[in-house]
This record gives sequence, C-alpha cells and structure tokens, in this order.
Amino acid sequence: MPLNPADGPATPAPAAHELRLRFVGSGSEYFRIWIVNLLLTLVTVGLYYPFAKVRRLRYFHNATEVGGAPLSFHADPWKMFRGYVLVALMLAAYSGAGHVSATAGLIAFVIVAALWPALWHSSMRFRLANTGWRGLRFRYTGTRKQAYAVMAVPIGVAALFVVLTLLVAPEAPPAPDAPPAPSEPAWGDILLGLAPLAVMLAAMPFFLWLLKRQQHRHYALGDEHTAFDVGLGRFYGFWLRNLGVGLLVLLGFIGVGGLFLWGLGATGRSPAGAPVLAAITLILAYLVVFALVGGHFTARLQNLVWNGTASRHLRFDSRLRARDLAGLWFTNTLFTVLTLGLYFPFAQVNSARLRLEAVRVHAGIDPDDLVAAAGRADEAAAGDAAGDLLGFDIGL
Amino acid sequence: MPAPIAATWYDGTHARGRAVQAEADGGTLWLLDEAGGRHGLALRDVQWPERTRHGQRVAQLTHGGSLVFADAAVFDTWRQRLGHRESWVVRAQQHWRATFAALAGLVLVGVVGYVWGVPWAARGVVAVTPADVEQAIGDSALAQLKDGLFKPTKVPPAVQAQWRDRLGTALQRAYPEGPARWELHFAGGGALGANAVALPGGHIVITDELLELLQGADDAVLGVLAHEHGHVRRRHGLNAVVRFGLVSAATSVALGDFSAVIAGVPALLAHMGYSRDAEREADADAAYVLQAAGRDPAAMVLLFERMAGRAKKAREADERGDGALPIAFASHPADEERIRFFRTYRDTARQGPGTKSPPLN
Repeated sequence: MPLNPADGPATPAPAAHELRLRFVGSGSEYFRIWIVNLLLTLVTVGLYYPFAKVRRLRYFHNATEVGGAPLSFHADPWKMFRGYVLVALMLAAYSGAGHVSATAGLIAFVIVAALWPALWHSSMRFRLANTGWRGLRFRYTGTRKQAYAVMAVPIGVAALFVVLTLLVAPEAPPAPDAPPAPSEPAWGDILLGLAPLAVMLAAMPFFLWLLKRQQHRHYALGDEHTAFDVGLGRFYGFWLRNLGVGLLVLLGFIGVGGLFLWGLGATGRSPAGAPVLAAITLILAYLVVFALVGGHFTARLQNLVWNGTASRHLRFDSRLRARDLAGLWFTNTLFTVLTLGLYFPFAQVNSARLRLEAVRVHAGIDPDDLVAAAGRADEAAAGDAAGDLLGFDIGL
Repeated sequence: MPAPIAATWYDGTHARGRAVQAEADGGTLWLLDEAGGRHGLALRDVQWPERTRHGQRVAQLTHGGSLVFADAAVFDTWRQRLGHRESWVVRAQQHWRATFAALAGLVLVGVVGYVWGVPWAARGVVAVTPADVEQAIGDSALAQLKDGLFKPTKVPPAVQAQWRDRLGTALQRAYPEGPARWELHFAGGGALGANAVALPGGHIVITDELLELLQGADDAVLGVLAHEHGHVRRRHGLNAVVRFGLVSAATSVALGDFSAVIAGVPALLAHMGYSRDAEREADADAAYVLQAAGRDPAAMVLLFERMAGRAKKAREADERGDGALPIAFASHPADEERIRFFRTYRDTARQGPGTKSPPLN
C-alpha cells in the first residue's frame, strides 16, 4: 500500500471503511441540460459558455456519490467568465498570429509558453478549491514554480521543434517563377525532420509522469495529503504497452484490409458500390482504432495513476477494465456520429459512470473524523478556462 | 409555512454530518438537531441547488459547510411551498417539450448562422483586415502549395512574361482606376491537374496542364486569369480563410471535446457551399474584363467544354480525380448555368449600360 513516508506511521492502519463511488446521473437528463445550455451558448456567441460549464460540472459532481455523499461544485460562473474571455482572446491571438507570419507566430508561442504553466497551476487550484465533499473543500497544494518545472519538458520539446524548423527552412526564397532546382531529399533534412518526432515520442512518458506526479502529490482534503508512488519506469512500461496495442491494431487492420482487397481482386472487377463500401470501412476502422487505442490508454492510465495515489488514511483502488472502456468508446462514438452529435451527452454520462464506478476508496479512519485544515485556498478562475481548453483535467 | 424536512448538515470543519430538520421562517433558516439544539442561518447565505431529476440536493452555506437533502422530491416540494420560482433555464431543462424547442432553436440558429451570420461576420472581419496581413497569409499559403502540391513549371519565361503583359493590359483597360494588386505564377499542377487558383494577397497560379488544355484558345486563358483576378479583387481567398475559422470555432464550442471527429465536416461544407456565389461573381468579372479587352466572353465556353471532355476521359480511364483544393477552379463543375452566362453575356451587356465594372458586393 503506497504511503507518503514523511506523513505517517510505517504500517498503515487497516482499511476499516470502504467508500464506493456511485454515479447517479442519467443520459436523458443531461441531454436536456446540454441542449438548453448549448442553445444559450450559441445564441450569445459563446459568452454563456462559462455558465453552461458550471452547470455541467455541478451536474456531474452532484451525481457522483462517494460513500453515499455527493460531491459538490460551487464555482462562481462570473469569475470563470473573466478567465474564459482572457484565455479565448489569448488563443485567438495565438492561432491568428501563425497565419500572419513566422515571426508573429514565434512571439505568440513564446507568450503562450510563458503563461501556460501559470494558467495550468491556477486551473488546478480553482477546480479543487471549488470541489467539496461532506462540507469539506478539496485543495491543490502544488506551487507555481513546480508547474513551470513540469511544463518545461513539453515547452522545451516544442521549442526544439521550432528551432529545427527555422534551421531547415531555406535561407532565401527562390526567385519567383524561376524553375526551382530539382529538390532531392537531403539526409540531413530528413534526420532533422525526424528528430523532434523521436524526441517527442521518447519524452512523452516522462512528461506524462511529471504531470501526473505533480497532480497526484498535491491533492488534499482535511489533513489528508496525497502521495504518489508510481515510478518513471512504470510509465515507460505503460507507454510501451500502448505502443504495442497500437501496433497490434494496425497489423490487424492491414490483415483485414489485405483480405478485403484480395476479395475484390478475386471477383475480377470492382463492384459498383465499392467506393461507398470502402468509405464505410474506413470510418469503422477509424472508430475501432480510436476506441481500442484510446480506451486502452485511458483505462490503464486511470488504474496506474489512482492505484498509486494514497494519503495517510486514504487510498484508491481503481479496477477499470480496458476492454470495457474500449467497447463503450466504440458505441459512444458510433452513436454520436450517427446522431450527428445528439448522443454526445449520453456518451459523456455513460463514460463517467463506467470510469467512476470502477473506483473505490479505502479509508483507514472513519471518514466522519476528517477535519478541515485551517485557512481557505484562494481561487483563480482564469486558469480553469485554460485547463479546459488545453485538455488537462483531473482525469477522473 | 411548510413543515420542516430532513437534512444532513455539514459544518464545513468536520466531515461528520449531523441529522437535522430544516425549517424556514422569514429570513432565517432554522436547523433543529436531535438533541434539541436550534441553529439559525440567514437565508441569503444559502446557495440553493438547481432542480434536477436524479441525485441528492446539496445547498452551499456561504460561511462554509453544506446541507444535503437526500430526498430530492421532498426538498423540491418544500422549496416550492416556500415560494421559490425557478429560472426559466432550469424549468426548460426539466421538460422534454422545452428541450425539443431548444433543439429546434439550435437547428434554426445553425441554419441562420450558416446562411447569413457567417458570411456577414466574415465580410466584417475581411473589411478590417489590413492588406499586409492578407499578403502574409497569401505568401505563406503560396509557399506551402509550391512545396507540397505544385511541381516546377515548364512554361518558358518569355511565354510567362507574355501572359503577364496581356493580363496587365486587359485589367488596366477594364479597371482604369487600377486593378487590385496581383502576381501571376506558373506551376505544374501535380494532383490538381488542369487548374487555376487565386490565393489571398493577389497570388494567381495557373497550371501548365490548363495552359496545355487551352492551347490555341488564348481568350479563354485570359478569361480564366480575369476570373482569378476577380477572386483577388473581391478578397474571396481571405474571406474563405475567415469563414473556415469562424465555422470551426463555432463547431468546437458546440461540440466541445468531440470536435476532432465532427468539427471538420461542417467547416468543409461551409467552404464548398459558399464558393458558388464567389464563383458567380468572379465569372462576372471575367466576362467584363474580356468584353473590355474587346474579346468575346463566349470564348470561356471552350474552357468548360474542354474541361468536361477531359473529365469524361478521366472517368473512362478510371484515373483519380482532381485534388481536394476547394478554391481551385476545376472543383466547381462547369454547369449549364455558367456556360449560358458567358454565351449570352455580350447580348445582355449591349442592351445594358455595358461599360461599368461589376460592383464589389
């Protein structure tokens, strides 16, 4: 059982209490919430978005019961509104700058890179500080400095990529309409082009580990501070297994595709509906790959990360089966595409139920005895919008 | 005053809940615990939950702590008896009829936004975009196309210069006030085949294949170039970029994290749907320029005929079709309407005032 050695006794107290997670939300109800708020968001050109988001988070939190008591979310949408506008402006400037010129894009990249870690940090603080259970508020105890240290890895890789692109780019553009010299692939260019990709692939597990470690070491409720005891090696193992699954799926598809083509070849001519059939096969293939690879990745990551998270008296037990999540993702995506997106809220509810109900919390003390720590965390809502847009969530 | 109801009270310091009876009286919420204690809270310090069908009700207390009402139905009745009116958003969320109305409204907003909103907003954005920004966008697009799609041209520089001359003269005659800034490029079409493209910032590209196809039909080539100049003059390229951005932004807001799968589709549709009007406008410019240069706009008919012949041949040979670049000339099937337009242009122009250039919107 993982424990923070600095925090408590060498042998943990036996798990006297088991808190089960239950998700009581319903797809049809969330559909109604979603559609009404979506309309409001579109009619207000996006300005209603933070209010819709608070409603969504409130619904999902409130429908999540831990040991019979629901979670609560109590952020002030007006605070989130300011943050949302700020981040939206920043991202609009960023995506626009890249169109205008390389220099403008570079400047925008530097600005976003400089602000991003701070935004992520406040996003974590904000989200945790506004989540409650049994009247106690959660806390995120990481520091801004740590956030910069974690984000230095992806920003460094991205910067490497930018610098290499600038190096590879020709020094002067060729004279217009002069027939350009026949370009032969130079080995140096190819290596320079592949290097960032290789670096990215190799650095990804390291970054993921830093990110998850940073988050899961700094959750707190009352006097309980979580620790994270999953080593870097296990993240690389996790990563390799995922690459393996991806490779297997790919090989499977090459096999199936080969059989398909062989079948076509055997009939001698292509049937009239062949392009339609090929398109449908391609879409289905995409869904299967997306579900298998994505489902496996998400399920295993949840188990890996939460099973390695514990505080002095609490530990987590996540038993999400990869094949269950992959199956659910497949049907979710298929129905969402078939219904032109209307199934989306049902998909979200189904996914939340499966992922949450796979988790149990073992408590070495009676949860009644948890006591709030003194002082209240401040809240910075600007970051929440950033966390939302950049896709870093708490992962449960 | 409604009867008190059961709740669990968490004080915000201890996770241990206390079973209480909640009762509202005037501006005060009274919590009566089992030991007979009575705790009063100002009602304005309670943030009540919105009604949902499932789950328990959690009320937040501003000074810390919360009240959990396990029986949601009892709570909702109690709140109603206390005279609480729900916001119409919350009421709409509870009713299927309102939900379907919202769905219909969503479709309506989508259609209105797609047909009028996006073009209107795009015109506004294009109008305020400085020329050098557009130039920069066009330059980088051209560089990308030259790198990826186009092949080096085989047209001799002398012939290139000749075409630049002809187009320049024709445009000068058609627009005495000065044509829009343009730059003519020649390139091998690659996957695009016989085609012509206008990019933001005045870049016009004609492929070797199209010149070959229109061998001997110089007026048609001039017409094609004037058509592309029409796109340049009306800033259609920038308009398309802006529209694409607007539609993708709207879809990603609407569909959230699901955008990766679906968001691309409407954006593409928007692009293809809108360009028909743009084509019509550029056609009008082409006919006008040809007319002003003393050529017969009907020469353009040859282009559509040869394109159609080539496409037919391509189908028969089971080749792959033209590349997927929606701004390219050949992506818009030569339809009867366009042929008729060029064929009858001279007659209609004679009847009308005739010498004015087509208005910019």
